[in-house]
Amino acid sequence: MILYWLGDAVLILVVLPVVIYLLRPVLAAARGILPHVHAIRDVAAAGSKDLDAVPLLLTTQAQVKQTVETVANFGGSLDVILDDA
Amino acid sequence: MPAAGVLLIIGVVLIIGALAAFLLPTIVALIAIAKGLDEAIKNVGELIAKSEPVNDVVHDINTNLDAAVDALEGLLVKKAGLSDSLGLVESVYPGAAAAGLRNYPESTEMTPPRISEVYTRGTLSLARLGREAPIAAASPEGPVLRHVDRSEVATSLLYPNFRPKGVRELPRSPVIGTDSPVQYEPTDTPGVRRSMPGKESTAVAEPPTMPGSPAEN
Repeated sequence: MILYWLGDAVLILVVLPVVIYLLRPVLAAARGILPHVHAIRDVAAAGSKDLDAVPLLLTTQAQVKQTVETVANFGGSLDVILDDA
Repeated sequence: MPAAGVLLIIGVVLIIGALAAFLLPTIVALIAIAKGLDEAIKNVGELIAKSEPVNDVVHDINTNLDAAVDALEGLLVKKAGLSDSLGLVESVYPGAAAAGLRNYPESTEMTPPRISEVYTRGTLSLARLGREAPIAAASPEGPVLRHVDRSEVATSLLYPNFRPKGVRELPRSPVIGTDSPVQYEPTDTPGVRRSMPGKESTAVAEPPTMPGSPAEN
């Protein structure tokens, strides 16, 4: 009977505090990760939205090509019109 | 049931209760974390997909601009000479001549001449055209497009007396075209006309004849 009482005492006074001691930081860590995950999600969403204008680069690419061609035509004409040094 | 057995059951129940009290919120938090990460991964995937063509497009744009800069630099050096080109660059973009021309490494060691003493109007035309060239990025004072102090004003400073002083009214520019009020005869040689409309004298200097030419014979 003494062993029963001893087992009860160990269960309540030792095992239960140890369980609580181990589980409390796990819960705190899980709750602490949550804001960071939300921040990452928001930043990724904002970054993705910032890149919505990327397709305009294709227009820029085409216009740069046209501009360079025009400059080349100008350069060819100037090469003919102006004397060399 | 003995009291020790009851206490044992109570102890076990307490432990299970503690496990439930801590593990259930942990599970809820982990589920929320998983959902948040799923959304973040989705957004990162979009980000990667959207930025995928950027490298190729920017590389292509840079290649085209490099070609334009090379051509403009080559043209400028061909027409104005390397030393005068530096002076021109320095006059349009003050301080930029120190960096030299990209395809002429020796230009970094040269001292740019003063443009107002050197340049012809033809070279200045190049300068005006070059104001919008990509080389403007090298200007230490930032973009110069439509900059009042460095556009027409700066040009007029180079040729302050281009318009003859003392002339109150210069002749108007001629109206050209097939239906223009004054018809000009086409010229055989640039700059030489047989007659000028509105002038009594029709004698205009003939182009110089070269020795051995048919006119000489």
